Amino acid sequence: MRTARERNRLRGLALGGAAAVLLVAAFPDVAHACPVCFDRDDEARLAFLATTGLLTLLPLGLVAGTGWWIRKRAREVGEGVESEPTPPTRSS
Amino acid sequence: MTADARIIPFRPRPRRPEKMMSNGVLGMLLVVFVEVMLFAGFISGFLIVKARAVGSVWPPPNQPRLPFERTAVNTSFLILSGIVLLIAHRAYQRGNKAIGTLLLTATLLGGAFVAMQGVEWVALLREGLTLTSSLYGSLFYTIIGAHAVHAVVAIGLLVWAWLRLQAGSLSRENLSTVALFWYFVVLVWPFLYFQVYL
Repeated sequence: MRTARERNRLRGLALGGAAAVLLVAAFPDVAHACPVCFDRDDEARLAFLATTGLLTLLPLGLVAGTGWWIRKRAREVGEGVESEPTPPTRSS
Repeated sequence: MTADARIIPFRPRPRRPEKMMSNGVLGMLLVVFVEVMLFAGFISGFLIVKARAVGSVWPPPNQPRLPFERTAVNTSFLILSGIVLLIAHRAYQRGNKAIGTLLLTATLLGGAFVAMQGVEWVALLREGLTLTSSLYGSLFYTIIGAHAVHAVVAIGLLVWAWLRLQAGSLSRENLSTVALFWYFVVLVWPFLYFQVYL
């Protein structure tokens, strides 16, 4: 059994959703996805592709390179700690 | 040995784990990543404008030509500066504190690069290539100007490192942080040179 508070909340959500749908339906327009990213010229098309590749792969490469370096460094630090000689126990 | 002798186990103090990199180097690494993306964006924009040039003619007609021979000499100064700093950096990491001359040489070579760039710019401005004269001029001054600003900041950091070295208070981490920025300035330049000047 739903409480009055829950019912009010659901009603609010439904009204909000309906208002959003109405707003979207009231102002339709054509969406131009990247209006400059096309060209008849082969050289320009190649430039678009190359720069898209560069800007996509460069940050991934930077992150991957840093991850690889941190892993390598962590191993070096770990090996350094493990190879330390254990001091002898003292007894009287 | 007495009968009631007890074995006292040796308990070493727990060691703090060794840092993988200093805070300064990590911070500078993040700055360099951001700057790499900034220059990648510049180069991408430049490549697209170049590819879409009217009649595929680049540089555009009636525009001054960039002095790529003189800039090649300039480039060698910058690369030499990076090599000298690398030698100084490695020596300092090994514990050699006498790197003052090397650090100063790297700084002066960097300063010579910026000064010669300035002379070139004055000549180009006289020839009519300004920030607003054409898209060519806008791109040239934005990309090469951004690099020059980075070079000036990095030279300031090198001077700061040299002053600290003279005062005996330059830590290895400080030098690594400053050197990382200068390596970025040096390494990004050949890409800019080959794309913009050639």
